[in-house]
Amino acid sequence: MTVGTAYPETTVPALLRLARLHLTSRRVPAALAAIVACAVVLRIALHWRWNAYGAFQLPLIFEAGCAAVIATASTGPFGEPERVAGRWLPLLRLATTLTLTAVAAGALAAAGLGTDLAGGTGGLLRNLAGLTGIALLCAVFFGGALGWTGSTAYLVIATYGLYTQWHGPALTTPWIWPARPSADIGAALCAGLVFLVGVAAIAFRGARDASSDRDT
Amino acid sequence: MNVVTADLTRRFGRTVAVAGVTLDAGPGVVGLLGPNGAGKTSLLRVLATVIPPSSGRIRLLGQDPGSYRQRRQIRRRLGYVPQNLGFYPGFTVVEFVEYFALLKEVPPAVVHRAVASAVERVDLGDKAKAKLRTLSGGMLRRVGIAQAIVNEPELLLLDEPTAGLDPEQRVAFRALLRDLGQRATVIVSTHLVEDVGAACGRVSLMDKGRIVFQGTPDELTARGEGTAAAGDAPLERGYSAVLAAARS
Repeated sequence: MTVGTAYPETTVPALLRLARLHLTSRRVPAALAAIVACAVVLRIALHWRWNAYGAFQLPLIFEAGCAAVIATASTGPFGEPERVAGRWLPLLRLATTLTLTAVAAGALAAAGLGTDLAGGTGGLLRNLAGLTGIALLCAVFFGGALGWTGSTAYLVIATYGLYTQWHGPALTTPWIWPARPSADIGAALCAGLVFLVGVAAIAFRGARDASSDRDT
Repeated sequence: MNVVTADLTRRFGRTVAVAGVTLDAGPGVVGLLGPNGAGKTSLLRVLATVIPPSSGRIRLLGQDPGSYRQRRQIRRRLGYVPQNLGFYPGFTVVEFVEYFALLKEVPPAVVHRAVASAVERVDLGDKAKAKLRTLSGGMLRRVGIAQAIVNEPELLLLDEPTAGLDPEQRVAFRALLRDLGQRATVIVSTHLVEDVGAACGRVSLMDKGRIVFQGTPDELTARGEGTAAAGDAPLERGYSAVLAAARS
């Protein structure tokens, strides 16, 4: 068999083929399935009755889970040859991250529709954005496989922040945005800033490749 | 000259991995020999624009890799196979090579032909549709080489490319190297002295971050003549003699 017969010419535009191969190499289909699973479990959990503290905590757990999935999908298997292979990689990383974040936002918001989602959709989107930013930054510094450590650590801090709302003195810094009302502008700005920094870092630097140093 | 470096240094903390290397290379195959820890991989990574030098001058393909715009130009014309190339096991051979062709901005109209040619050149035509998870270590090395040559690079950097290849594959690979070296500058880091003797027109020998010998394989062989240097083959004795002289 020659390559020609094994590899028939295609009419699919090159950029679409590149995007498909990139998404496949990042295991994006598996990431999408994990995000949908998070949304489904959140939907089921929201049918139970929760006290006020638990109701605020519950969506945070699934937002942190989605953030970890997004950070994990930022890691590629190819290492240095891919990093020195041209100008498309930052754009592909950016598109992958934004697409997964948008899907996670849509899925989690849909899961909360028609339920008593504490903090509302606005709070959910804000928290997801901030947690994703933290997970991406962890991926940049420690590698995609460890992206979950950042969102998990922040989940613990946010849980404590929420706890102090009922057992004062309350933590009021906007950097612990889940503990702030969903309409709080300062908290939204902090979460948005962390998200933007995380997305920019992952697009330009990529997740840390443990086998090598950083490129320039 | 496709590669020009002057007093090139690369440090990792207090460790000097590349210590003032001056190297010029035009089209042809250059063998980079040296013991473990000599700095071969670090030098190749600097030449591949993976890491910047700590100091010194470097020009690749007539461009300055320190400039973002010029580095992009270099990368389009570069092929690089590191020691440990990662693979996505669910890709087929052609998907893997096509991914790199598209990343390296091979014109869409010729991607199909370029991928087919690269896969055939590494003798994997009959495995073109095979998933990477099903291939042997030697076949994966050849897939790695295919991604490096898919853009017809003018500068090809190969780090231990023959590791994992059986003798028949190594003979075929040396022939491929000689063919590639007709048009491009090919720099091959290797431990295998016989690869250098068979495929390289020039050889640079590194030790402790420095280049301690540059010349032809015959000139390296001559360094071992009449000495008690260790080695089973004349080239190995030359290698040992140069290293012993550099360390004395």
